Amino acid sequence: MSKLVEKRTVDMQIIGDWVEPGSRVLDLGCGRGVLLDYLQQTKQVRGIGVDLDFHKILGCVRRGVTAYQGDMEAFLRAFPDHYFDRVICSRTVQELTDPAAVILEALRAGRALTVGFVNHGYWKNRLDAFFRGRKPHNPVYPAEWFESRPANPVSIADFERFCAAKGVRVARRALLRGDWHTPCPLRPNLLAGYALYDLTR
Amino acid sequence: MNDAEEDLPSTPPEPGEVGLVEPHDFVHAQPFAFESGQTLPGFTLRYETYGRLNAARDNTVVICHALSGDHHCAGIHSLSDRKPGWWNNIVGPGKAVDTNRFHVLCVNVLGGCQGSTGPSTTNPATGRPFGLAFPFVTIRDMVRAQKLLCDHLGLASLHAVIGGSMGGMQVLQWGIEYPAFVRRMLPLATTARESAQAIAFNEVGRQAIMQDPEWNHGDYPKGGGPRVGLAVARMMAHITYLSDESMDKKFGRRRPQKPAMPDPDHPAAGAAPSAAYTFDVQFEVESYLRHQGESFINRFDANSYLYITRALDHFDLPAVHGSLEQAFAAVEAETLSVAFTSDWLFPADQNREIVLALLRAGQRASYAELATNLGHDSFLLESEDLYALVRSFLGAPHPS
Repeated sequence: MSKLVEKRTVDMQIIGDWVEPGSRVLDLGCGRGVLLDYLQQTKQVRGIGVDLDFHKILGCVRRGVTAYQGDMEAFLRAFPDHYFDRVICSRTVQELTDPAAVILEALRAGRALTVGFVNHGYWKNRLDAFFRGRKPHNPVYPAEWFESRPANPVSIADFERFCAAKGVRVARRALLRGDWHTPCPLRPNLLAGYALYDLTR
Repeated sequence: MNDAEEDLPSTPPEPGEVGLVEPHDFVHAQPFAFESGQTLPGFTLRYETYGRLNAARDNTVVICHALSGDHHCAGIHSLSDRKPGWWNNIVGPGKAVDTNRFHVLCVNVLGGCQGSTGPSTTNPATGRPFGLAFPFVTIRDMVRAQKLLCDHLGLASLHAVIGGSMGGMQVLQWGIEYPAFVRRMLPLATTARESAQAIAFNEVGRQAIMQDPEWNHGDYPKGGGPRVGLAVARMMAHITYLSDESMDKKFGRRRPQKPAMPDPDHPAAGAAPSAAYTFDVQFEVESYLRHQGESFINRFDANSYLYITRALDHFDLPAVHGSLEQAFAAVEAETLSVAFTSDWLFPADQNREIVLALLRAGQRASYAELATNLGHDSFLLESEDLYALVRSFLGAPHPS
């Protein structure tokens, strides 16, 4: 198993731990449905994914995961308050045009929201920028600048500030070291490589 | 996003053909009450099947045809046929709707004119075609009649119902009307509610037919009738199945090599300078549409066209059930809805709304959209992406 796949598994386990069995789960930026497939098998969730790309939807259908091709904000707006038990936004927030709008809308349409992201404040990312003077380039961000999708990198400090400013309640945090496994209680914005938030309104 | 893991490319076996097929007739000899309250003493449905029904009698895939389609969706009727059935590219051994796995059933709709009972059928009471004495038919009537055929064939349940355009409406109606009987719905390029624009186009088609003196209030002999009106209706409707981009690509402003309709008074019309200023065919798109109209009148009945377009107009699931969510409340099937970006007759948003309503009703539903430039007719497209999607949906594990 490659290091990246291991990391993903840890990520999925924590996300899964926060999901109630049999609940209704929406995965924003669901990709090919790997996470929802896992949640369907381990938690018997009723899942739906949203992604922009046709081939991602095809991957979901192939796995037996239901998915919707389209814009996530427009999708969320089509549902009444608290329709979903949990919305998941895993490694997607950094690519949103209007992250606040999506997060707040997800907290309206869902009772709870899981947000997972790679901490841009992690010391290795800082060193990368400091010494190389280039965008982070590592196993997590393998693509060159000219091959990357537009990204709006976020750090733990940024995200905490957002939650405080918008009155979003943080029910749980999972802040993990560079191995995305070991808990990182101290100075997480510098020492944590990965962050997961369990949010409510 | 969980996109690091690439799916293995699917390698379906080399697809084959269903080959020679023949239509069958199902005669229902009991009275049938239409939604309109009118009745018929019985009816006939013409249908075709491909592939084998399994022992559990639950591997049938019903294919529902569109306005001008018929029961002949795959294979050929004779070796001299120039074209196979209308959806031959997707139905066959090893194809997306795999006849090695599925028993495929395709039925000419009630009210049609390709062998099923419709306005051109002889009315036993008068010995003449029904004409306007034929009951008004709805999408629900079409589906209810098909269910009687399924019962006659002894089918336990349907693996899936698939259809584009009007076929998609029937798919939705199937899932609503017989929730326990339908396990998968695959509507393409369709709507849950015929829009004002679509009704408007249908009305222009109907007026073209009804203003043709040969229509004669629907009373015309077999083989006769409003040929001009029907051809114009078809020409106009055909434009709504294409797109600006696809027409520009296919025809542009190109001119036919030879005049499509040689004028005996002007044998050298193509060379004469005055030829630039006539109302004969001057552009390829004109001769294409004229050809579409011409070939249509040889296979379609004008009264059927009136009845079926009216059935489309009346299709309005939210109005019938109070809301689209309520319409889908009892559905048990899993749904995959497919739309095409260039379809302006049944635009993507109308297909999205089907899936959003299904989800709001607590059902399992997916939505996918293909970027095509072919307009509404895109659902008939030869597209590996579409094949992969259909194949995956039909074969995907079905959580209960």
